[in-house]
Amino acid sequence: MIIHGKLRDRLLGWLLSMMFIVGGLLMIDAWATSQRSAQRAFDNQLEDALLAMSEAIQWQDDKPRIMMPPAALKILSTRHQERVFYRLIDDQGRVLANNLDMPLPPGLQREAAEGDVWHDMRYQGVDWRLHARSVRSAGWERQFRVQVWVGHTTEGREQLARELMIRATGRMLVMGLFAAMMIFITLRLALTPLKRLRHQLRRRQPQDASPLSGTMPEEMRELVETLEQLFARQGESRDALLRFTADASHQLRTPLAGVQNAAEFALSSDSPTQWHQALSDIHASAERTSRLAGQLLNLTRLRHLALPTEQDALDLADLLRDVVMEWVDHDLARQHDLGMAELPSQPVCVIGESWALREMIGNLIENALRYTPAGSEITLGLGLEAEGGGVVLSIEDNGPGVDPQMLERLCQPFERAGRQDTDGSGLGLAIVETIALRHQAELQISNRDAGGLCVRIRFARRQP
Amino acid sequence: MKFTPDRLRAMAFAIVASIVPTRACRVTSRLWLVLWAGIGMVSLIQPAMASAAPPQARLVIEAAMDRQVAAPLLAAFSRRYPDVELDYRDRSSMAVNALAQQADAQADIILSSAMPWQVALVNQGLAQRLDSDEARQWPEWAKWRDEVFAFTFEPIVMAYRLDLAARMLPPVSHADVLNLLTEHAETLAGRVVAYSPSRSALGYALYLQDSRYSGRFWKLVTALGRVDATLETSTQRMLEGLSDGRYWLGYNLLGSYALQWAQTHPDIIVQMPSDYALISMRTAFIHRDAPHPEQARAFINFLIGREGQHVVAGETPLYSIRDDITGPFTAQSLRDQVGQRLYPQPLDASSLSMLDNARRNDFLARWFDAYSGGAPTP
Repeated sequence: MIIHGKLRDRLLGWLLSMMFIVGGLLMIDAWATSQRSAQRAFDNQLEDALLAMSEAIQWQDDKPRIMMPPAALKILSTRHQERVFYRLIDDQGRVLANNLDMPLPPGLQREAAEGDVWHDMRYQGVDWRLHARSVRSAGWERQFRVQVWVGHTTEGREQLARELMIRATGRMLVMGLFAAMMIFITLRLALTPLKRLRHQLRRRQPQDASPLSGTMPEEMRELVETLEQLFARQGESRDALLRFTADASHQLRTPLAGVQNAAEFALSSDSPTQWHQALSDIHASAERTSRLAGQLLNLTRLRHLALPTEQDALDLADLLRDVVMEWVDHDLARQHDLGMAELPSQPVCVIGESWALREMIGNLIENALRYTPAGSEITLGLGLEAEGGGVVLSIEDNGPGVDPQMLERLCQPFERAGRQDTDGSGLGLAIVETIALRHQAELQISNRDAGGLCVRIRFARRQP
Repeated sequence: MKFTPDRLRAMAFAIVASIVPTRACRVTSRLWLVLWAGIGMVSLIQPAMASAAPPQARLVIEAAMDRQVAAPLLAAFSRRYPDVELDYRDRSSMAVNALAQQADAQADIILSSAMPWQVALVNQGLAQRLDSDEARQWPEWAKWRDEVFAFTFEPIVMAYRLDLAARMLPPVSHADVLNLLTEHAETLAGRVVAYSPSRSALGYALYLQDSRYSGRFWKLVTALGRVDATLETSTQRMLEGLSDGRYWLGYNLLGSYALQWAQTHPDIIVQMPSDYALISMRTAFIHRDAPHPEQARAFINFLIGREGQHVVAGETPLYSIRDDITGPFTAQSLRDQVGQRLYPQPLDASSLSMLDNARRNDFLARWFDAYSGGAPTP
């Protein structure tokens, strides 16, 4: 999947939007903080003014009297010159002092008798904040209580909160700009290796499979390693192709050289017997060359064919029987004992291409015939697995077997496991393997304990 | 016969119906209805329009300031704003205070020398904020909330007749007054005049301030009582009494009035106290419900602006506040004369404490107690 747009733009977008979200949250917090700070600062002044007024209450003849102290009013007014309100009420509800006809909710008055009261209200179209508390006298005979109410307008609070907010906003803006700048620079620096890699890849020659140079950050190492593996694989497959071509040319050259030799021998001779001999040699070589070319063609076709599209459910037992019957009468099989083990009674159904499976079985049989000495027994069998629902096609011989070290390389083209005494092209098992792969079948080649080679191909079984 | 709209419409319809042929009647009657509605609305609007557009702008000033003292200021304002018709109403400070609190005050400017009362009015929310360069540049101590502005710096003085100077050494300080009252109690009996603390707002404020700055204030009150000093309600009446010869000595007079009076009455000597001088400031604010707010703002800006202050310093004995003005009557010239011991009344919320009833009653009780010879309560 290819992501649209530049990686840098995406990173930048994400980082900046994250920054804005965080900045927004911080601004909300700053707003709340500035409101709270302003509120606290001014509430303190209300408390101080209330205290100063409480101190000015005197008790004469068991009656409270207040000498309103100018300082208390000055504190109440604050340096923002708020309008002020005060009211002192004794426990009989008599007003001892009062400067504004502010309506106090009766509920609040009851509350103020119990403890501290803070109250925000609107009066004369302006916001006010009030504070009240009950002050007790330590009377000789009985205790007196005076409710002290103080209040002021809220312009100063709002102004202070605004100033704090503006200051916080300024700080945030500077920090935001700084952070944005840092993000730009960091992104540029961080993305430099990617740019370098791009340049390296662009300059690279097609056949160059050497590792990439330069130090890479941790996160990019994986990408670079993958790229290097890809280069290596491409190199290998190109090598394999070259080797295959070289091998194929070599293989084709040998019979052609035989034809050339026979023809030269015949030309230098006058004897018709020798001509006949030469002609039959040429015929044999041509036949071998033709078979080799056919098999090469087969292998190439199989390897380059698209994935199978026409797959049917086939009875593998029927197929096997057919192909074996064809081969029993073959010239090649004259001196071998080609046979079949007992096949399962019920149909053995697999999914596959009929022609490819026939080709595969034919190749297996031909391979066995060509690489075993005359008189060897070759047995094909079909076994049902008790578990897993697989079906195993097997072919066994009692020939010489294969050097265990060679077993793994048997499926490579032109590999004859060192045997020169045969007409085999070395492509049979390669074709078999290719077809097995097309059918998701497992190919297993092993030496039998009793001598000889055993090839097993396990198919997934399909219930008929 | 009453002409209700319905009846008029019916009459009109009847007239129309009698003139117009019946077939067209339905259509025309609707047209007439519209016409009638239009006429009715025009007749309703006309009187309202007539009253909404006066020939020229007015400005109503409710002032506790002598018209004679204020005259140069008002004249200068009229020169500057010839379109504004000034309605200057001179009253006592208590009357101004009462008027400002009326629901339908119809006043643009409230101007008074009773500073605590002015602050109280502002605290009640009866003032408008003035947002102008002049207001912003005005010194902090001479304004409150940018709503009420002090524009004069009037010293509180003593005044005496030449008769007094002929008999005894005239007083130059508060201590001298106390000595004179004590030593010449018989001579001065009935010949001393001072403010009434209960009937004069300014008087009360001045006594309260005196009590704060003067150590022997209560002795002075007792001495005033002993000579049976007359308690007046205005400087003007005190000056008249002095000129009439009823009084020889006046205590705590508004310097501005006294100085102007002395210019035309050479037998009156005005003495600035040499130990300390109280300063009373004339304050003005725009009433919340001012009918002519634009003119009111212009007036306050004029008062505290260079032009107005120049008039205050040069043509009135009110003493200007701005120190970038030169003239015979500036706060600076007063400082040069008396020194730094000038005590202006505070123009802030603390002055509200003076108005607190308990405090006021307490002070007045104590004052009259001392005045009537009782020992001052400690």
